[in-house]
Amino acid sequence: MGLTPSRLEISRRSWLAAALSAAACGCSSRPALRIWAHQGQEAEHAALAGIVEAFNRHHAAGSLRAELTFFPDFQYPEKLAIAAAAGDLPAAFELDGPLVARFASAGLLAPLAGLFSAAERRDFLPTIIEQGTFEGQLYSVGAFESATVLYGDREMLAGAGVAVPAAGQAFTWAELMLACERLKRSGVRPMSLHMNENADEWFTYAFSPLLWSGGGALIGNDGSSVRGELASARNVASLRAWQALFELGYASADPVDPDPFGGGKTALDWSGHWMMRSHVAKKGARLLVMPLPGVGPAPVAGCGTYCWGIARPGHQQAAAGAWLRWVTDPEHGVTPLARASGAIPGRRSAFSRFPEYDVMPYAWLKEQLETIARPRPRTVFYSTLTQRFAAALRDIARGDDVAERLRRAEDEIARVIERRSGRRG
Amino acid sequence: MTSWERSYARSAPWFLLPAAVLLGVFVVVPTLHALYLSFHQIDLLSLDRQRWSGVSQYAAVLSDPRFRRAFANTALFALLVVPTQTVVSFALALWVNRPEAPWRALRTVFFAPTVVAMPVLAILWTLLYQPASGSDAGPINRVLLGLGLPAHAWLRDPRTSLLAVAAMSVWQGVGLQMMIFLAGLKAVPPAQLEAAKLDGASAWQRTWHITIPALRNTFVFVLSVTSIFAFRLFVQPYLMTRGGPGNSSVSLVEAIYEMTFVAQDLGMACAASMLLLVTLCVLTALQRLALAEVRE
Repeated sequence: MGLTPSRLEISRRSWLAAALSAAACGCSSRPALRIWAHQGQEAEHAALAGIVEAFNRHHAAGSLRAELTFFPDFQYPEKLAIAAAAGDLPAAFELDGPLVARFASAGLLAPLAGLFSAAERRDFLPTIIEQGTFEGQLYSVGAFESATVLYGDREMLAGAGVAVPAAGQAFTWAELMLACERLKRSGVRPMSLHMNENADEWFTYAFSPLLWSGGGALIGNDGSSVRGELASARNVASLRAWQALFELGYASADPVDPDPFGGGKTALDWSGHWMMRSHVAKKGARLLVMPLPGVGPAPVAGCGTYCWGIARPGHQQAAAGAWLRWVTDPEHGVTPLARASGAIPGRRSAFSRFPEYDVMPYAWLKEQLETIARPRPRTVFYSTLTQRFAAALRDIARGDDVAERLRRAEDEIARVIERRSGRRG
Repeated sequence: MTSWERSYARSAPWFLLPAAVLLGVFVVVPTLHALYLSFHQIDLLSLDRQRWSGVSQYAAVLSDPRFRRAFANTALFALLVVPTQTVVSFALALWVNRPEAPWRALRTVFFAPTVVAMPVLAILWTLLYQPASGSDAGPINRVLLGLGLPAHAWLRDPRTSLLAVAAMSVWQGVGLQMMIFLAGLKAVPPAQLEAAKLDGASAWQRTWHITIPALRNTFVFVLSVTSIFAFRLFVQPYLMTRGGPGNSSVSLVEAIYEMTFVAQDLGMACAASMLLLVTLCVLTALQRLALAEVRE
């Protein structure tokens, strides 16, 4: 049952009233509001620390005081899992978007019903709301978003005789392969796909859009049926097309250089928004930003990133709610974080503070999040899904048979799902 | 019994108490708790929702193809690493067992990889093994190509991925075993070696008939410890191959880690850990029986 606007408003007021009373009760012995976040890049880390300071200054009159702890990005999910097992989750914490379903289903996240008004929800980018919603309830919101794009070097492409798509248009797969062939013939390494990325998540994040563009899926809509989905004929066809990039020598399955495009070694870069500042600085007007190419009629973009949730059960839910509102507030949270990290602002109203998003190439990042972006699957089995899918992609890039490798991954994932669902002993 | 002996008997338990408490709190209790959990179906994120499942976790572990492959891989890894590392470290110890400065420097060189963090070495060796693809070719393949031999994708070929991990592991661990053998060599009676030399025994005969028997207990220790280390293989495949290609280099501990933190199936992970514990106990007992450690 959905909440009517009036009930929503009452509910939102009750959150705020509880937060204010928590701040105003004057109990100096009240424990600090524990907040956990992943330790991102240095600037993002400093920005978040500054946001906490501002939050504490704002609530200095009361006793509401947030205490932020950072944990290394690598294995932050494990840290959360151990804390959950020990019953020691903080009042509010960051978690990667695809893990929201798992934490929500385990009863570790409080629904955010009523924390944001309908107008405020509409102000969030739709992908943020979609990513944070599980079984009809909103459990998380983020201050910023991410986006996958294909970068190109106009000069290198022109030098190889490659015609580039119109603004906002993607290469079709046939056009991409032709472009790669021409680049290769002209002595330029065509594309970097960052296959040396150590994190499994890169592979699911970056290459799921290709499967979606071909009409496939990683897992069924119910979030638990994988047989016949991952190794579907559509996915096999999509990944055969992808595998050809390596077989034909257009991309390296074992690269070493983390940024060959920025260094002028490749003409195309399958990457994301986080490289935009660096690429703009290095390439200037030569930089071309396109949607990812798809194998189907329309391209699909990847999105999703860290977001914030409130622990359940928790004695500080109202205070944690105040923090979530603060860190996702366009002025207090979104702007400093997006400015520091280079991520895309998560609130529509925040874009007015970022004039660069009014013109290309940044404008395309905003545009695709409103139109063609799709979050990763919201399933409680996401960790297994992404790990086994990433392993399959690594092997496929190195020459494994696509259909056989996808079937094996599908079987491994299905075994875990069936076991955890009690369908297997 | 003298009064001193009575006093000793009374006070001994008190001296044992601190160690017994620490062992109990940090080893025995967690092990028993893991044993208890291994008979339950438990979600890591919802420990309060545990359900008795009897031996079904063990059945699930033993029928899991990835775990079975991990077990086979780890056993093969141990078979490759334990004898190789023992023989090589013993040979190195014999070689550098001289007091002059250059040999002391060599000892440091051989020991150095032991003190470097394994993740650093794993990444370094991933670069060394880099397959031949233009300017990205790794040093090992460049040497092979320079010698006119074919380059090979060591870590991405299922036939060589575990072998490559084993070779790196031998290189990394051999220095520590060498130091243990060096310590053992100090206890070999020099008079016996000298007498054998005067009697015309060759270097090989002196090693075979005097040094090796004198180092029997050292060998037992090195073999036991190396076997346990081998079965605890984790960082190398986790960072160098992610257990792949396919499941060709996945290790037992890596599989248990995945059960715990990826599938978050704590009951199954505990059952797998118990099986690993039993395997190591049996293996160590067999080694001790076969080599019959000599106690003076």
